[in-house]
Amino acid sequence: MRAAIIDGKSIAADMRAEVAKDAGVLADAGWAPKLVSISIGDTAAAELYVRNQQKQANSAGVEFEARNYPAETSLEQMTGILQGLNADPRVNGIIIQRPLPDHIPVKALQKMVHPLKDVEGMHPASIGNIVYNDLALGPCTAVAAVEILKTLPMDMEGLNVTVIGHSEIVGKPIAFLMMGLGATVTVCHHMTRSVAMHSRAADAVFVAVGKPGLVTGDMLKPGAALIDIGINRIETPEGGKTVGDADFDSCAEVAGWITPVPGGVGPVTVATLMKNAVLATRMQMEQYRDAYARTDI
Amino acid sequence: MTATVIDGKAFAAKVRGQVAEHVARLKEEHGITPGLAVVLVGEDPASQVYVRSKGKMTVECGMNSYEHKLPIDVSQEELYALLAKLNADPAVHGILCQFPVPAHLSETDIVAQIDPAKDVDGLHVINAGLLASGQKTLVSCTPLGCLMLLRDHLGSLSGKSAVIVGRSNLVGKPVAQLLLQDSCTVTIAHSRTKDLADVVRGADIVVAAVGRPEMVTGDWIKPGATVIDVGINRIDAPEKGLKEDGSVKTRLVGDCDYASCAEVAGAITPVPGGVGPMTIACLLANTVTACCRANGLAEPEGLTV
Ligand SMILES: NC(=O)c1ccc[n+]([C@@H]2O[C@H](COP(=O)([O-])OP(=O)(O)OC[C@H]3O[C@@H](n4cnc5c(N)ncnc54)[C@H](OP(=O)(O)O)[C@@H]3O)[C@@H](O)[C@H]2O)c1
Repeated sequence: MRAAIIDGKSIAADMRAEVAKDAGVLADAGWAPKLVSISIGDTAAAELYVRNQQKQANSAGVEFEARNYPAETSLEQMTGILQGLNADPRVNGIIIQRPLPDHIPVKALQKMVHPLKDVEGMHPASIGNIVYNDLALGPCTAVAAVEILKTLPMDMEGLNVTVIGHSEIVGKPIAFLMMGLGATVTVCHHMTRSVAMHSRAADAVFVAVGKPGLVTGDMLKPGAALIDIGINRIETPEGGKTVGDADFDSCAEVAGWITPVPGGVGPVTVATLMKNAVLATRMQMEQYRDAYARTDI
Repeated sequence: MTATVIDGKAFAAKVRGQVAEHVARLKEEHGITPGLAVVLVGEDPASQVYVRSKGKMTVECGMNSYEHKLPIDVSQEELYALLAKLNADPAVHGILCQFPVPAHLSETDIVAQIDPAKDVDGLHVINAGLLASGQKTLVSCTPLGCLMLLRDHLGSLSGKSAVIVGRSNLVGKPVAQLLLQDSCTVTIAHSRTKDLADVVRGADIVVAAVGRPEMVTGDWIKPGATVIDVGINRIDAPEKGLKEDGSVKTRLVGDCDYASCAEVAGAITPVPGGVGPMTIACLLANTVTACCRANGLAEPEGLTV
C-alpha cells in the first residue's frame, strides 16, 4: 500500500476549532450563530445525522435546535413555519432533514429557505453562486470534498480532475468549484462509455455515485488523489459495514492519497455545515448593519 | 473527408417559424400576445444594430416589441426604476438589457434587478442555479442555440464525449450544463488547461467559445467529430482591399480554423451563419416560454430544453 490516507476527522477538527473562534467573535457582537434542524414525520431515519450534527455544533460553538413536525404537516403549514424562521433574527441557518413525507417536495422547501440562511447550500441562488464562481454558501458535501483536496500539496490550476457522478448536490457543484479553482474538469456518469479512460487521465478523482467497488486501482493514475464521497451499507461475512464507492484496497495500492469511508469526507461535511452557519450569521449581521445600523451616513 | 456544414441560418429561420406558430396559437386560443422589452443604454453603434434586429424579428414573429433607449449617462436609479416597471408590467414577458453598458453601471447588478421569470437572457444567478439543479429555468440563448443545433444534427447526444473550450458564465458554463443534462461526458477546458489540443482530440463534440480567432485547428479534431464554433472575431482581411477611409477591410472568423477543421470534422458550423443566427431565435423562443409560464400554460413544444 502506498497511498497516504487522508484523515477527515482531523481536518474536521481543525475546521471546528476555526469555527468556534469565529462563533465566539460573532457571539461577542451579539450574533451567536444558531441552527434550526427540521425533521418531518419518520424522524428515526435521520436521527443519527441530527444527533451527530447536534454534537458537532456544540463543539463548534454553534447553537442547535432540533425540531420534529408530525407526518401530517401540510406544505402550507411548512411554508408558514419556514417564513417564520426566515424572519426570526435569532435563527441564522435552517437545515431540512431528509427523507421527507411524499406530500412535501424537498426542492419546494429548499427554495423557501432564505438564501442568507441556506446553510445547506441547496437554494437555487446558492447553487447559481457556485456556478458563477462566487462562493458564499455552498452545498456542504461538495465543498467538503473540495476542501479536502485543497489540503494536499497540489496546484489546482491546470489540474486534471475527473468527477464521477453528476448529481445536483454533489457531482455538479464539485465540477464547478474545481473549475473555478482553475482545474480542467471532466464529468462522467452512467452514460459515459469508458469511465476508466477519463479517471486514468486524472490527477484527482472525485467519486459520488453510491455504488460500492465502482472505482478500482487499475482505473487510477499512479499517485493520483482519490476523494470518495460514496456512503454504502454492505453485508459482509463479518456483518454489515459502511464503505465508499471505491474498492479501497486496490485503489490504495495505486493512488497517492485516498479518503477512507467512514472517516474521510463525512466528518468534513458536518464541519462545513458549521462553517456555513458562521458564514451565514456573518452575512446576516452585515446585511442588518447595512440596512438598519449604518452610522457613517 | 469534408464536413457537413451545419446551416444555422436555415435552422434559426425554422425556429422562428415555430415561434411564430406558437405566438399565433397563443393569440387565437388565449388572446395573449407575448412581449419582449429591450433596454439599450447609450448609442454604441453595434448595440444599436443588435437591438434593431431583435426588435424587427420580434415583430415578425407576431410578438410585441418594447424598446427603451436611455441616455449614456442615465443613473442607476433611473435604470432600475425602469426595470422594476417592466418586471411589474403584465404585457412584458421577457426583459433584456443590451450589453455592454457604460462603466458607471454593473452588468451583474442589472441582471439581478430583472425578475428571473422574465430573464430571457438566462443570466440571473437564480436561473443559473435552477439550470444546475435540473429545474425549470430560462436558458441563455447562445447555449440553447448550440444545443438545438447539436440535437438536430446528431439526434441523441447520450454517451458522447463533449469538450467545451471556454468557461464563461454566458456561454461555456451553460453549454456544459446542457450537454450534461443530455448525458454527454463533459470536459470543460479553458486558459489554464494543459495540453489543450490533446483534450480536444478526445471529443465527439467540440464547442469552442474562446474569443480567439481560428485557435482550434484541424489537427486538434477527432475525425468525424461535430464542431460548434461559437466564436465571433473580426480580423483584418487585406485580400479584400481597403475601406473608404483607407483602413484595411475586415472579415468575421470563428474560434476554429474553418478550412482545416472542415477537412477532419464530420460536421461544423460556419462563422458567420452558424451559431450566430440561433441566438436571436432562442431569445424569441425564451420569450414565448416565459409568456406561457406566466399564464400557467403548457411549455411551448420544441422551444425549451
Ligand atoms: N451569438 C453568438 O454566436 C455569440 C454569443 C456570445 C459569445 N459569442 C462569441 O463567443 C466567444 C466566447 O464568448 P464568451 O463570452 O464566452 O467569452 P469570454 O467571457 O471571454 O470567455 C472566453 C473563455 O475562453 C477561455 N480561453 C481564453 N483563451 C484561451 C486559450 N488560449 N485556450 C483555452 N481557453 C481559452 C477563457 O478561459 P479563462 O476562463 O481561463 O480565462 C474563457 O473561459 C467570443 O468570440 C464571442 O464573441 C458569440
